Amino acid sequence: MEAVQVIEAVGIPQGVPTPPRPAASPAAAREARPGRARRRRVGRTWLMAAAFLAPAVVTILLIRIVPFIGAVISTLHVRDGIGLLAEERFAGFQNYIDLLSDPLFQATLGRTLLFNVIINPLQIALALVIAVLLTRRVPACGLWRMAVFIPCTIPLVGSSIAWGVALRADGPINGILQALGLPTQPFLSSPTQALASIMLVASWVGIGYWMIFLIAGINEIPDELYEAASLDGAGGWRSFWSVTLPMLKRPLLFVLVADTVANFVLFVPMQMLTGGGPQNSTTMLMFDAYRRTYTYSQPNQGATATVILTVVMLVIVFVQFRLLKEDAR
Amino acid sequence: MTALTTGRRSMRGRVLAQRWLLGLLAALVGLLFVLPAIWMLLGSLRPGSDVIGSVSPLSWNTLIPDVWTLDNYASLFGPLRFGQALINSLVVGFASVALGLAISIPAAYALSVFRFPGRELVFAVLVVGFMIPFEAIAIPLAQIFTQWHLDNTYIGLILPGIGNGLAIFNLRQFFLGIPSELHEASRVDGASEFRTMTQVYLPLSVTPVINSALLIFLAQWSAYLWPLLVVSDDNIQVAAIALSRTFSDTSFNFGQMFGGALVISVIPAVLLLVLQRYFTQSVATKGLK
Repeated sequence: MEAVQVIEAVGIPQGVPTPPRPAASPAAAREARPGRARRRRVGRTWLMAAAFLAPAVVTILLIRIVPFIGAVISTLHVRDGIGLLAEERFAGFQNYIDLLSDPLFQATLGRTLLFNVIINPLQIALALVIAVLLTRRVPACGLWRMAVFIPCTIPLVGSSIAWGVALRADGPINGILQALGLPTQPFLSSPTQALASIMLVASWVGIGYWMIFLIAGINEIPDELYEAASLDGAGGWRSFWSVTLPMLKRPLLFVLVADTVANFVLFVPMQMLTGGGPQNSTTMLMFDAYRRTYTYSQPNQGATATVILTVVMLVIVFVQFRLLKEDAR
Repeated sequence: MTALTTGRRSMRGRVLAQRWLLGLLAALVGLLFVLPAIWMLLGSLRPGSDVIGSVSPLSWNTLIPDVWTLDNYASLFGPLRFGQALINSLVVGFASVALGLAISIPAAYALSVFRFPGRELVFAVLVVGFMIPFEAIAIPLAQIFTQWHLDNTYIGLILPGIGNGLAIFNLRQFFLGIPSELHEASRVDGASEFRTMTQVYLPLSVTPVINSALLIFLAQWSAYLWPLLVVSDDNIQVAAIALSRTFSDTSFNFGQMFGGALVISVIPAVLLLVLQRYFTQSVATKGLK
């Protein structure tokens, strides 16, 4: 969720106009003063600003920038031996070459991309359809909205527990399949079904979460636009495409970027339910970085996987911004 | 005349039918989402072995318990000491909100009120710095925290949650909208910058402050990877991890796990329901007017 907030901040600076300041601002008056007093004044403002900003700046340096630089540096070193105590030496891009030429890592990278290509559009499309459905005047609408909303208050740990039990061989989902006369399925313990099962775990809580933002966006659309559209003879389908969708551009871009980041760093269901298996079928970059660092005690390779993850994710987020921004014109 | 009325009636009939059809669809979607949660709730109120035991043969009994009990909750809060984990989560959440606001508000104030060279640069560094997703640097950061002996401490759990780029961003945008005349008037009256911030700006900024507090709290409450990396001592472990640890523990039963999962959902559920309008109220989704 934190990733969500961070990315949300990313796109705004360009498009956001700073409120205009009155022409006769005190700062302008200040500039008219003689040089020395002004310089002293600027110096004092600097000091004051530094005092107000220092805690936040130190925090960001300490918990984001320094560790990230540290991680990048450690990707350029290798250890002769295993574990944190082994001697480190500089090795250039050896870690990157090793990882990117490893078929297992290539498969992990491909799987991470595939997972995101499927789950992000799927979650957002469903969240959008449900948001539109639940903002129509249907009977007991508030009740159904609450029903979809409830799962998104359950942390991923809770969702993993629920589906971990529900999808067991002797669990209720297989119970339902059996009652319908269908063959039971292995779900999380099958290399072909585990990834889809993980998507279910993430989507049960994710769809309702993204829906909240889309509903807020739909409620912001002025009714007059729909009235105008219906006067022009537009039906429900037409006004969805030419009113709802264009007016939702901003929340949709936010949801798309935030969802992409959240799914790129998805970790809980793999750690709790599959351990990346069976046969690595649910190993994605985030889990791979964790496993290399803590299970295999290869922190340099783990950091390399982390840096690759960050770069790939930022490239995709950047492309999403460009595509949707272009579209707006 | 008659033709017109029947025409209108059939049209009204169609609209009504459409409404009911959409209503039915909405009900179906709602049930699909809420059913697993109801199954968890009812499962937590029956003996743990019945959760799976009632599946075959499939009947109403699979969902609705025939034996009702609060034993699961009793053992969660009794011998399993889940209460302690919840308290730890609350301590971490509230401390993070307090410290997070304490660093974000002055930063946002400085970035919106003071005019000094390099202001835009500092702002960019803050926002871009927080752009790096926390999960991506969690592993290297955890190694640093271990070297600094911050592992297995509350401080270690709290620190990464207090810096929140979006909180600073939202507060700054809001402060920029406050007329600078108010700032000048307060300064002319002899109030210090700190006093101006707390007495003039903050009372006007309830919405972005609640929004920021909510962002920080919810992020900490659902944190999983970070506490997993820096805490191994059960006495200060947070609820999410305490719960997941029991998942692999075979002596633990499903009824207890469901109860624990619901208990950790209650606080975010209440906060989101009561404060939903603040949660979606961010410049990113609405834009500035």
